[in-house]
Amino acid sequence: METILDVQDIHTFIGQYHILQGVSVRAPKGSITALLGRNGAGKTTTLKSILGLTPPRQGKVVFDGREINGMRSFDIASLGIGFVPEHRAIFRDLSVEENLKIAERQKGDYVRKQEFIFSLFPDLKRLIRLPGTHLSGGQQQMLAIARALVADNQLLLIDEPSEGLAPVLIEQLMEAIKQLSAETSVVLVEQNFLVASKLAEYYVIIEEGRSVKQGNMKDLADDKATIHRYLGAA
Amino acid sequence: MSIFLRKNFTRLIVLAVLAALFVAAAGGMESSDFVITLLRGLSVGSLTFLVASGFSLIFGLLDVLNLAHGTLFMIGAYIGWTVYVRPDTFVDLLTPLFLIFSGFMLGDVWAVIGTRGLFAGGMKRILPWAGMLVSALILVGVLRSYPVSIWNPEDYAQSPVSISYLAGLGQNLLPPPAAFESISPLLAFAGLLLGSLLLAFSLALFAAGKQGLVSRLNWCSFAGFGAFLLAGILFFVFNDALTNFLASLNTNWLFLIAVSVAVATGVGLGALMETTLIRPLYIRPIYQLMLTLGLSAIGIEMVRAIWGRPEFTMPRPAFFAGTGEGCPATSLADWWQYHCSTMILLDGRIRIYNEIFVPIIGLTVLIGVWILLQRSRLGMVIRAGVQDREMVEALGINVRRVFTLVFALGVGLAALGGVLAAPSIGLSNMMGESFLLNALIALAIGGLTSYPGAALGSLLVGLLQQFIIKYGQIGIPIPFADIIFKPTPPIVPASTILLMVVVLLILPNGLLGKKE
Repeated sequence: METILDVQDIHTFIGQYHILQGVSVRAPKGSITALLGRNGAGKTTTLKSILGLTPPRQGKVVFDGREINGMRSFDIASLGIGFVPEHRAIFRDLSVEENLKIAERQKGDYVRKQEFIFSLFPDLKRLIRLPGTHLSGGQQQMLAIARALVADNQLLLIDEPSEGLAPVLIEQLMEAIKQLSAETSVVLVEQNFLVASKLAEYYVIIEEGRSVKQGNMKDLADDKATIHRYLGAA
Repeated sequence: MSIFLRKNFTRLIVLAVLAALFVAAAGGMESSDFVITLLRGLSVGSLTFLVASGFSLIFGLLDVLNLAHGTLFMIGAYIGWTVYVRPDTFVDLLTPLFLIFSGFMLGDVWAVIGTRGLFAGGMKRILPWAGMLVSALILVGVLRSYPVSIWNPEDYAQSPVSISYLAGLGQNLLPPPAAFESISPLLAFAGLLLGSLLLAFSLALFAAGKQGLVSRLNWCSFAGFGAFLLAGILFFVFNDALTNFLASLNTNWLFLIAVSVAVATGVGLGALMETTLIRPLYIRPIYQLMLTLGLSAIGIEMVRAIWGRPEFTMPRPAFFAGTGEGCPATSLADWWQYHCSTMILLDGRIRIYNEIFVPIIGLTVLIGVWILLQRSRLGMVIRAGVQDREMVEALGINVRRVFTLVFALGVGLAALGGVLAAPSIGLSNMMGESFLLNALIALAIGGLTSYPGAALGSLLVGLLQQFIIKYGQIGIPIPFADIIFKPTPPIVPASTILLMVVVLLILPNGLLGKKE
């Protein structure tokens, strides 16, 4: 199976703290891979390290056959990686439309992708003129994902998409992520195992800054002992 | 509507009180005094705004408190004066300047070399310093012998004071052009080019450890380098022709060129300052503060060494300098016909340049930058970058480049303020400091990172100062006592600080600032 992202034994420091102490992730092309683990395990730092926001000091990150570690984060993103951060990072002084337009890498990206984006998130069309501050948590999450879809990204890194959302919205969001994964590979961090198991085909468990287990999500769903040991869920 | 009122209740009350004070201040004087004071307030407010807006843009996006901003305002004024009054000096300087900056055009090339790890260990640490030292020696050595026709601040007859005075009388005779004597043109060219390449490379190596791997070589860098090199050569070849052309221009055109050159210099200095000095210190804000403070002191000393300490004036362009027949003008049509320096308005005499032209430029810049911020992609990126730089970068946008652009734009605005202020308030070594203080007060009043706040704060500072000055002349009758209180000059700066303190006590984020 072709791999879109291959993270090989990365070590990342934040200040003097050795946060990632050997994380490896393989994400097959055209699939959803979930990074699982407890709070503070290093899942978010892994996403940020892939994107060069917290550059790894050791190890290799290969995206679509190209080594990207050490490159500047905007150069990495320009290669075709979209990022949806945990806190959504909606630009509050920009309107919904501006929040989408700013993600254009080529002129006309937004116009070209408009139909696809609004078919995934119809609510956004209605809110297009509103400033980012006026959106609810769920609407902000949709906008954050939509923003990552404006440019032609081959890979989306989504951090905690279900965090703080009502169950109805989570369902809606899961449906949207499933739909978009038909066109784009996704690596997502998800605390909610139920959500992750429904969405992802592959998983990587990160424990105390190390990747300890990875494989097929179907196998993990049947492995109650592993789930209990690393994720604290039964 | 009710939500808006509830959210902004305190702000609206403060604005209403300020408006009431303004009406009361207006009611206490003749209508002619009021109009003149108002226009003077607008003029000072406009110049303050040009400093404050740039400062606010830089602080908002880059978190850099640029304490050299006032000095850059002053440098804008002195550069403008040089182009306007001594075009020969300006033309003589073009060739060395273009050659010195040509090396920096290859910034991306140096960055690629610097971040590729071609130099390791001790070499990597020593090379930048050695390079900077050698390039500085080469550049200083060449520039000492490079012929530039320039004034002499030590000799009163050839000092900027005398030159300005004569220029104001229309007797601006340029001295004979300077010639190459102690150095050959070819050697000077080679030295400047070598020094520039070495300096730019050394500074890039110095910054290399602080940025990620630069993967893409921008071929435009070579085009930029070629353009600067070519410009340097052309200015050398056509030096006399260009000097004669500029000297033959009327003062209106020359003033326009002086303004453009001052702004371009500000933009260039800003870009250079951000890329070479500020960028390596983004993770150490306190050092940035110390650096800009140090640069400010260096800038003032350099201005003193080049232009001298005494204050002098910059003659106004002919468009605003008429004094003969038909002056002072009684209407705009009259002014247009005779280009009078003053006009009678409501029985009061106003200075066209100071009280009409400067506020118009201030308003134009306010609208222009507002459109840039609200309607352009760059503006969108700036507004987004102010909120979340990391996310902007994660979208594939080179935020560093935007930082440089904003820094350059901010300094360009300060330089514009400086060159506009020169014919209005004259040139002095301390003009930058006083306007920086005004701008800081204006920003504290309006909101530190708010662009409309910068405009409102500057307007309030300008108006308050001018109304206090006016009341210092006509006095304020104290109710229920037979006393006329005349504010003394020290009260002028004190009043703006008092206003700032009151506003900050009630609205800690300023009148239009947002909660941090």
